[in-house]
Amino acid sequence: MEALRVDNVVKSFGGLMAVKGVSFSVEKNQILGLLGPNGSGKSTIMKTIVGIVKPDAGSITVQGINVAADPIGVKRIVGFVPESPRLYEFLSGIEYLDFVATVHGLSPDTKRERIMEFLKALDLEGRENELIHGYSQGMKQKLAIIAGLLHRPQILILDEPLNALDPRSARIVKDLIHRLSDDGVPTVFSTHVLEIADAICDRIVIMYDGRVLAEGNAEELRSKAGTAGSSLEEVFLKLTGTSDTREIVEALTR
Amino acid sequence: MNLRSVYSLAVVLTRSQIRGTQRNKFLARIFGEPRIILPVDIALLFGLGGLGYAILSASGMGGLLDLLKPIEPELLAGIPSAIMFMAILFGVLYEISQPIQSMNTDLVNWLPITPMEYVGASTISESYIYSFMVCLFLGVVLGPALALSMSSVWLAAAFMAVVALFAGATVVEVLDATTNRISSSFYKKSGRSGIIFRLIATVILLVFIQLLFSGYVVGYLLQSVMQAAISAWFIPVVWPTLAVLGVAQANLSNFLLFASFSVVFAVALFGLAARFRARFWVPVPVSIKLSTRAYQPRQIHIPLIGATESAMIQKDFRSLTRRREMARFLAIPFVLAISMGISLLPLSTQQTAEAPNFMFIAFLFIMPVAIFVGALSMTSIGQEGYAVWNLYAAPITPTQLLRAKLLFAAILGVPFAIALLSIFAVLLKTIGTYYGILLPVSFLVVLEVSALGVYFAALFPDFREMVRSRYVSVWGSLLGIGMALCVSLLTVAPLALSIFLYDSIIPQLAIVSFCIGLAVFIVALKMAHRQIQRLFRNIRT
Repeated sequence: MEALRVDNVVKSFGGLMAVKGVSFSVEKNQILGLLGPNGSGKSTIMKTIVGIVKPDAGSITVQGINVAADPIGVKRIVGFVPESPRLYEFLSGIEYLDFVATVHGLSPDTKRERIMEFLKALDLEGRENELIHGYSQGMKQKLAIIAGLLHRPQILILDEPLNALDPRSARIVKDLIHRLSDDGVPTVFSTHVLEIADAICDRIVIMYDGRVLAEGNAEELRSKAGTAGSSLEEVFLKLTGTSDTREIVEALTR
Repeated sequence: MNLRSVYSLAVVLTRSQIRGTQRNKFLARIFGEPRIILPVDIALLFGLGGLGYAILSASGMGGLLDLLKPIEPELLAGIPSAIMFMAILFGVLYEISQPIQSMNTDLVNWLPITPMEYVGASTISESYIYSFMVCLFLGVVLGPALALSMSSVWLAAAFMAVVALFAGATVVEVLDATTNRISSSFYKKSGRSGIIFRLIATVILLVFIQLLFSGYVVGYLLQSVMQAAISAWFIPVVWPTLAVLGVAQANLSNFLLFASFSVVFAVALFGLAARFRARFWVPVPVSIKLSTRAYQPRQIHIPLIGATESAMIQKDFRSLTRRREMARFLAIPFVLAISMGISLLPLSTQQTAEAPNFMFIAFLFIMPVAIFVGALSMTSIGQEGYAVWNLYAAPITPTQLLRAKLLFAAILGVPFAIALLSIFAVLLKTIGTYYGILLPVSFLVVLEVSALGVYFAALFPDFREMVRSRYVSVWGSLLGIGMALCVSLLTVAPLALSIFLYDSIIPQLAIVSFCIGLAVFIVALKMAHRQIQRLFRNIRT
């Protein structure tokens, strides 16, 4: 069953065409990895799914809800973590999570139970009463991830979610994504770390210059690139036409 | 000390400060480079000086020259100390208007730059940026100095003003390094009470600065500094002034003595600033613990609105009271109340029992209410800053956002209106008859201006986080405040007409006033709702 459908989405900012007719879909129980170099349109497409960026053309449906027609309905069921999330630094960690939980309509008991659970799991317990301003980047990332999961979303949209996380927390988040996927909550997540994509994604979409360049599981991509048995990094570099890095390195070390 | 590093860093710091406050792209292109400051300085100095000299040299100006003759040396001597004072004030003001996010990301924290090099660069940069003050003051007094043949006193004042500017800039560096460490330790230990203390201190400082620049105070300051200088010769701040006085009184040894003292004082301050920077600077953000209690979710219920709106209002209150760059909005009511109080003092001392003019009182009372509520509501959306995605990504409807922002401004506006009218009542005992009319009208004004302000906030939001962020575009703020003042006056107009025609408030005109206020409120509310819907559709950050 289709949980997400992105259909021929186009988006430009001023003169820059960031997304040029992107289409893909995500099944229930699926983890989809969005790969692509910087500026390939990954973050833009993720923001259009959440309804933060309005596409110029095309349509997006999340769990049967059209984003353009009912953006609030979509926001209720999506868990979103943006790349380098900016949080309200004048709030304490607990105040921020309380705010997000209240906006999602959680009852006081549910709020307390879930927030404390997540804080403990991601090693933020004991730091929750401190102002976010004093948090490290990794702590802020953990807070954003908790905020995205508090309301038990029906789909996760995670833009570089493992950025700045310590190995233990990264492992917990990865396991959580797997577990949620088993429970029928699909995930779309972008990453630059190809090993992570290789390890946890059921399907991978490689984006380049605002377009979908290739799509499939890791094996299918390897065969498309004609690099059977090689690492996903080599597949990625081959498909995006950026594999010849030797000259650049030589020029830099000259 | 690597002078090349000092120069490069001074250029970067100057660019950072002058570009950080430029919002207009056209102006930023013209005024974005440090070199623009020099021609501005020259134009101020020689333009004002030439103009003053030309006016005073014209025939028939002998009377004016006679008037200026006794006070010119006092003005010249007062300039250096006033410059030092202002350099410190401007420097401190700049520091407290920086958003918290930009504080600990300074490049200098990880580049190989010594504390002395940093202090040197920062002092040069600040002195150069505020050099316009020196040129402005010296330009104004140049014409009279030439016409009165006091050019040697002017030259001494110019030299001492530069020394004083440099000393003032180093004082800011000393304060910066010291307060950085003290506040870090203080916040760490005191938590929430530390934030409250900082808020109060910042508001007091802002009120003081605002009142200081109320026109005639600067002239008064120049004269009183000069008068106090002679008896307080042992205080270093007045040494530059005493050096200039030495020249004015043809006492060269006094000039040499106090000029040398001033230079030594400035150099000593520089050394102290470098040492303090090395010892006290804390480049990492400090953790501030607000509470030690276990988390107990509390749902704050504001009557007639939902939990989402209540949570947003609570968040905005925390933003207002915890972000030091927001303290200026909290300072507005105090500045306005004190300014209004000063305006009313002459009336309060009058012995006549005659009631003051209603239109005058209504104007003095309604304007500050409209300005305060307008400022709060117009900045309510832009102040979210780059964290605004939290609202965009959450299931918050435009109606909920509108209600929260409108109520936030109204909740603060109503007590301000009550407090201000009470001050009026204390100062003008005869106002009692108007109290019952002006108070409900002010509530209506609070509502209509809040709705209008949210409309402009959604139409012209400015989410950029920079020094002295506006949170609403320049056009937005001008139009918004203009409209707020117009609708406020329109609402009060029928009441003023009633007093003017019948010498009392007649019910029919009071109803007209109420209807105008209500109509403006409803229209502004609809406009604001539509604009927030548009903001959600075409998201800008």
